[in-house]
Amino acid sequence: MNEPFGETRLSHHADGPGDIRLWPVALIILVIFGVFAFRLFHLQILQGESLASRSQANYVRIVRLEAQRGAIVDREGRTIAASRLAYDVDVIPHEVQNPWRTYSVLGEILGRDPGELSEQVGQPRGRRRFQSVTLAKDVSEELRAKVASYRYALPGVELVRQPLRDYVYDGMAAQLLGRIGEIGTRELAKEAYADYRSGERIGKTGLEATNEQHLRGRAGGENLVVDVAGREIDKIDMIEPTPGGRLVLSLDLDLQRVAEETFRRPAPDPPLVDEHGKPKPPPVDYMGALVAMDPRNGDVLALVSAPSYNANAFAGGVGTETWRDLNNDTWRPLRNRAIAGVYPPGSTYKAVVAAAGLAEGVIDATTVVTCPGHFRLGRRTYRCWKRAGHGPVNLEQALAGSCDVYFYELGKTLGVETLARYARLFGLGRTTGIPVRGEVGGLVPTPEWKMRTRGERWIDGETISLSIGQGANLTTPIQLAVAYSVIANGGDVVEPRIVLRRETWDGEVISEEPAIIRERGVIAPAILEIVSKGLLAVVGPGGTGRRAAVPGINVAGKSGTTQVVSLDLIEGLEPKDVPIKYRDHALFAAFAPVEAPEIVVVAVVEHAGFGGGAVAAPMVQKVLAEYFRKKEERVPSEFAAIMISPPGEAGGRPSLFVGALDENALHAEAFGTQGLQ
Amino acid sequence: MSLLRVDRSRIQHFDWVFAGLVVGLMTMGLVNLVSAAASGVEGGSDIVSRQMMVIGLGVFVMGIVIVVDYRHYDRFAYFLYAGCMALLILTLAVAEETRGARAWLFSGRFQPSELSKIGMVIALAHYFGRTPPSSIERLRDLLVPALIVAIPVGLIVLQKDLGVAVLTLLIGLTLLPLVNVPSRAWFGMALFGAAALAALWQYGLKGYQQERILGFLDPSRDPLSSGYQQMQSKIAVGSGGLFGTGWQEGTQTQLRFLPTQHTDFAFSVLAEEWGFIGSMMTLGLYAAMLFWGLLIARNSKDAFGAVLAIGLVGTLLWPAAINVAMVIGLAPVIGVPMPLFSYGGSALLSAAISIGLLLNISMRRYVF
Repeated sequence: MNEPFGETRLSHHADGPGDIRLWPVALIILVIFGVFAFRLFHLQILQGESLASRSQANYVRIVRLEAQRGAIVDREGRTIAASRLAYDVDVIPHEVQNPWRTYSVLGEILGRDPGELSEQVGQPRGRRRFQSVTLAKDVSEELRAKVASYRYALPGVELVRQPLRDYVYDGMAAQLLGRIGEIGTRELAKEAYADYRSGERIGKTGLEATNEQHLRGRAGGENLVVDVAGREIDKIDMIEPTPGGRLVLSLDLDLQRVAEETFRRPAPDPPLVDEHGKPKPPPVDYMGALVAMDPRNGDVLALVSAPSYNANAFAGGVGTETWRDLNNDTWRPLRNRAIAGVYPPGSTYKAVVAAAGLAEGVIDATTVVTCPGHFRLGRRTYRCWKRAGHGPVNLEQALAGSCDVYFYELGKTLGVETLARYARLFGLGRTTGIPVRGEVGGLVPTPEWKMRTRGERWIDGETISLSIGQGANLTTPIQLAVAYSVIANGGDVVEPRIVLRRETWDGEVISEEPAIIRERGVIAPAILEIVSKGLLAVVGPGGTGRRAAVPGINVAGKSGTTQVVSLDLIEGLEPKDVPIKYRDHALFAAFAPVEAPEIVVVAVVEHAGFGGGAVAAPMVQKVLAEYFRKKEERVPSEFAAIMISPPGEAGGRPSLFVGALDENALHAEAFGTQGLQ
Repeated sequence: MSLLRVDRSRIQHFDWVFAGLVVGLMTMGLVNLVSAAASGVEGGSDIVSRQMMVIGLGVFVMGIVIVVDYRHYDRFAYFLYAGCMALLILTLAVAEETRGARAWLFSGRFQPSELSKIGMVIALAHYFGRTPPSSIERLRDLLVPALIVAIPVGLIVLQKDLGVAVLTLLIGLTLLPLVNVPSRAWFGMALFGAAALAALWQYGLKGYQQERILGFLDPSRDPLSSGYQQMQSKIAVGSGGLFGTGWQEGTQTQLRFLPTQHTDFAFSVLAEEWGFIGSMMTLGLYAAMLFWGLLIARNSKDAFGAVLAIGLVGTLLWPAAINVAMVIGLAPVIGVPMPLFSYGGSALLSAAISIGLLLNISMRRYVF
């Protein structure tokens, strides 16, 4: 054999006779290294690319950077809803080196049972052991500092920051702002949410929902190089998230705050006790709604729905239990009563009936009707709320004393169809168009409606009920505000405007919402002037709405009290003994100043137990008073600004403006000089 | 024939080619280790300097081994063998369990089973030097060599060091093709071997060891431990491509997706960073070294030297074969480092002894 490793004769060696075969071993080496060569060729050349991409999948981690949700601010730029960074305590199971110590220390910090924590994390296997488990959400700053101080002692424990919605004035305008929550599977299936991922938070109701696209912002991301433990080693690239845009509302925070406070019932002094002398829980706050609106452009200045709820509880994700409680709560705190609560308008409706009568020429300002305290139609008798009767009254007196008989008479003459037509002219019976999800349209009843829904014929008596705002008439507080705006602004139906403009997160204006007048001149200004005069008398001395009066301001308004059940049910009961759900609703609608109205306020108090003049009028009064107080305060500051602006005139007497601003002048002067010192 | 005879002819016949191949391999191993250490594995900064110290120690040991004429090892073969077995028994008696095995002495610094491989090879060479393998035609004539192999393998199995046990068995089997035993006898032995393997599986292997082998057969079975490690190793090797990612540029290595990258998976580091070309060059160097070892056997002046050289080639071949096969996903994950290439003291010293003996045989090929 001539092969180098063939059979070798060793006989020529001194002590080694015999043949040693080398080729089998050489063959073994060749085969083994040959197989290795093929295998390496297979892995590195043939599969090289796909394995390289798997290597990349190992070390490149795409981290999504959530955008901060845009802020919601009031008309003066004060933040109502912000986004803040919340910190969660996470555990990455793979990195925990000493589970027993880690969980006992964490348990100490978080005030939880170490065993429970350990169980929550579990012992995930495979890639999942690199995925973090959240042990505590939105921890306090103190807790965060504690966790941070243990950072090096507790590997695997991390503080993870993420933006969280923060409603600065918890519960304020909660239903209007709406809720955010995790996107549901049904929403994910919709085209509008095509670029959303599960787990993301979206606006579910209210303004959060209707302005979702604006507030959301655009998530960024970064490509990180991570090591086997998931630690960040390097950043390949990064796209900064774009925070969501600012939403500037027409709301005025001061007005909103005052309006919400009016629904708070003061704690009784001394505290209530039951018959056994044990303390009784304090009465719940008033339920109802309040809308303050600028009749000239529809700006909603305040919008209250009471009771409210803790909005921040939702921001971090609400437990099913809390959710059920809120949803099933008898008082329905989640519902926005201002746009979705329907109430018979009661006597506030009389302004509409009066306008209809004047416009149809059935009455004029001097038409007198004698009120004997009741009104007879066929065999039925309809009572005036004032049993003794108002005697002979003209329109102004009828409105001021809220004489039912006057309007029974007028309604009977006008007929149901005419009443319905005018109600619609005032914007009733349809949604106002306020851009908030969930608005309802109310109801303007007609014979045709009754036939369609109940299959019954219209009865004339129903027209009589209608003409004082009772019966099947249903309006929302926002509708009443629109209807009273028609009277205030001289005949225009405005569309309530809640969003003034949309800005980028850093304040650049993207779009301005124009004030929308839906219909112009639906009623002649002359007619509305007569109605206004009557409504002015309501708030005047002796009027049912005198408690809405604001000193120095001419307030026009109308009270309303609507029965919830037939009088027979509560006949003979003392007011305080009537079950709450049978008690009357109290309403009050007003605008001011009469000569050039700037604000309309409508308040509805459910089951108040007393009339609109007694319960709702003072609420309206407080809001109006705040509005005019602020206005008065604002004027001098504007004045001061004017005064400072021309240089060289500092300290000079601003006599030019004193006359122009009359009673504000003294304030202005004081403020101005003070500001200059 | 004095015990320490290093005259000019010895130096003149020093096998520079073989030594060069060894130095080349160790240099590559060291360069590779620097990269693996740079990834920040535990004790990373010390690894390189410690390996240098071990190499120095290895050269020293190699020198001692070379100086003594190899025929003295023939004379004291069974003493050396008995000494190794005594060490194995001692280890079994006193060693504490580390990573499931009782294989280390001096708190994990010294592994007697590494030494006993060589003791076994010397004893086998001694036996075959007197009883030429080509004269062995019956299985029963293999009783003594079988015993020489079975005792250390059995003791190492008792130490629960599966990798080294398999390794020792394979090294012993390397010499089998030398004998003239007919094929039906091999068949009978294969049957016996299968039965022995089954018994080993059932009684010799711990649960996690069985898991490792099953995980190799079906990597999706348990991606967490061995299957996962092997997957990461295959990804590392494959992503090297033709030219590799570059030294210290391998992401699998530097971001520590590779497990035990300085020891068991050192070759993956090389394959990732130096690509197909680098790995083929290293394997080529290794194969060349082994073939050169066979040439030493061929040129040996006596049967003891020839058989010893083949056995020593076995001690270098099998750990490398098992290690590379494991790294590229052809064998289950068993902790066997690649001689001369991976980090590790015991393995390197054992390889140094093998290399020293081969050089010893080679430089005395003309001595009569």
